[in-house]
Amino acid sequence: MTSLSLNSFVTFGYLGVFVVALLAQAVGGGNLWLRRVVWAALILVWGVHTASIGLRWVESYQMGIGHAPLSNLYESLVFFAWAIGLALIIAHYRFRAGVILLLGLPMTVLVMAYTSLLDPEIKPLIPALQSNWLVAHVITCFLGYAGFAVSFVAAILLLLANSSSSAAKHLPATRVLDEIIYKSVLVALPMLTLGIVTGAAWADYAWGSYWSWDPKETWSLITWLVYSAFLHARLARGWSGSRAAMLSVIGFGAVMFTYFGVNYLPGLHSYF
Amino acid sequence: MAEPETNRAASSETGGVFGETIGFFTSVKTTIAVLFLLAAASVIGTLIPQEAGLAELKATSSPFLYRLIILLDLHQLYRSWWFLLLLVLLSINLLACLLKKARNIPADWKGKDSQVSFRMNMEDGRPPSEVKKLLAEQLNPFLGGKPKESSSREAISLTWVKHRVHLLGFPLIHTAIIVILLGGLTGIVYGYRGYLSIKEGEEADRFVIKSGGTGTLPFTVAVDEFTLTRYPTGEPKEYRSNVRLLEDGREVHKGPIVVNSPMTYRSISLYQSDYRAVGVKWVKLALSGPDGVVEEFLIRPFQTVPLPGTSEQIRLHSLDPGSSTRGQGVEMTATGPDGESRRVEVFKNDPNPTDVGGRKLGFLGYQTLYATGLQVGYDPGTPLVWWGSGLLVAGFLLTLFTNHRRLAVEIKKEKGRTTVQISGRSRRLRQEFRQAVQEKVRLALGESGKGPRTGQGL
Repeated sequence: MTSLSLNSFVTFGYLGVFVVALLAQAVGGGNLWLRRVVWAALILVWGVHTASIGLRWVESYQMGIGHAPLSNLYESLVFFAWAIGLALIIAHYRFRAGVILLLGLPMTVLVMAYTSLLDPEIKPLIPALQSNWLVAHVITCFLGYAGFAVSFVAAILLLLANSSSSAAKHLPATRVLDEIIYKSVLVALPMLTLGIVTGAAWADYAWGSYWSWDPKETWSLITWLVYSAFLHARLARGWSGSRAAMLSVIGFGAVMFTYFGVNYLPGLHSYF
Repeated sequence: MAEPETNRAASSETGGVFGETIGFFTSVKTTIAVLFLLAAASVIGTLIPQEAGLAELKATSSPFLYRLIILLDLHQLYRSWWFLLLLVLLSINLLACLLKKARNIPADWKGKDSQVSFRMNMEDGRPPSEVKKLLAEQLNPFLGGKPKESSSREAISLTWVKHRVHLLGFPLIHTAIIVILLGGLTGIVYGYRGYLSIKEGEEADRFVIKSGGTGTLPFTVAVDEFTLTRYPTGEPKEYRSNVRLLEDGREVHKGPIVVNSPMTYRSISLYQSDYRAVGVKWVKLALSGPDGVVEEFLIRPFQTVPLPGTSEQIRLHSLDPGSSTRGQGVEMTATGPDGESRRVEVFKNDPNPTDVGGRKLGFLGYQTLYATGLQVGYDPGTPLVWWGSGLLVAGFLLTLFTNHRRLAVEIKKEKGRTTVQISGRSRRLRQEFRQAVQEKVRLALGESGKGPRTGQGL
């Protein structure tokens, strides 16, 4: 058993959970048994996902180039999917809103499917990445991204519910969705802040400057500014519902650009 | 925090231009607008190449865009006057909001704030002292301690305050941002960044300043050696410069500079940046005599040295890193005791070893001479930035993991009945707090807790 084969199981596992969750939704809210199956399967697949990351860590040590599996695009995507899985589990547990899985699980499936197109070889760490800050930086950033992803999913559902009353019938109350949008950002923003701070500390050690307006740095700041504006609009100006949801969607657009789009601009983060 | 709070009386009583100006700086609308403007400006900064040459920009942009770029400093946006102005505006706004909000903190700290998230009113048949005892029995464990109590002849007031420290979250986060911005400003004004390239075995103290011009370090950097190690797969594993720092020719500091592990001396940091191959450090030759004994011989470029075991002098001129099928090799001059010079070539793949003075020469290998590229950084603002970052994270943790709650209970004797007024405030999870309090009160007083004038959540 290698971490690679576990990962393909995980990809199809999330797909399976999604299908059952869809079924549970179609059958209707009353079917407790199907809901339990979804919940148990999600925990199981996510557990295997965790094991796969752990196994890859072990494999790298067996190769004599041991390092945390967070060192290239493949590994960071696998971790991103893991973090989204974790955020979905927490949001599902906290808000009892199974419907967020319907939009959240396809995201994890897509991310995991994308990893299968990438070179999965475990490579030794190049000098710039040989730093303990790497682990703290990547973990905090991606936990933040995952929180924003859940907020985004709830925001899309809320916009859907507000635009069509027939869709609203199948969705949780907008009050609940609104809570999810806001609470996820409330947790994710401190995570992103930690991610930026640890990144700055690392940059100071590696390049002698805690901030150099590298595109990825700048885009993480843009993300941070948008979600800060979101919190202020919400707390002090009472924004909620569609307007807050739109801000959450814009914020997640910035997250996605920070992660993927920036690679088309030149900069220091070219290995992610 | 879905429910809105009842607001304190609006604090901008001062009218006129002055009041409006104050209002502008303390307004959250301003905050939101500035945050969005900063975000938009940052986006532009990632689309237009920063710190690029103007000639290059002129060639790649339309005349109109080029004029706009020059007018608004878009090619050095992050240090343009208007971007800095936005940051100053943000700082003033933060400071104003901080001062405005900070006024309430002492009262909130003492539990005397007037804002409430919910109120409950009820009546009970039991005497006030018993009602107090029953309520305290339920609420003390729930709120983690005894209340502050003040009783007059007609009323008993109980106030519980929990997680006061939560109140510090807001000032910490907002002070932190100001501290970070001050740190950044200090760095811009007093700091500098630069670059110097030094060959192995050489020393230097002059460096090129990134923003233009040259500077001189208060010490001399002597590079003893640069090493490049690779993984078996060929990827680079480590770049290391072994350097000594000299003051007036005296060694004051010594050690390696490695990527992710800079050297700092007198607040100036040196970072491993890059390297260049600039020549040959030495060439290793194999010398075999008529007796068949082979010894290794190191020769440095452009030094005339005696070839061991012979009466010849030898001088290394050039190295071929393997451009032909003969493989790697060197070109040298050998000078005999008679003063006669001749050219000698030694290549790795030559079938017949070259003979000099009776010894056969073979090529074993060579060591590249490197110049290491070091970044120079001096930024007295960095400690401020780290302090600010620490405060920021601490503020977020306080906001997220603590929750300031206040519960005030007033028990009065009115027309033979006991009336109980409960008001509560919670910064987070308001609904949950209200529901929990309602449940505790019900447990304490029984169904009378659902008296005629019962709880109205706001």
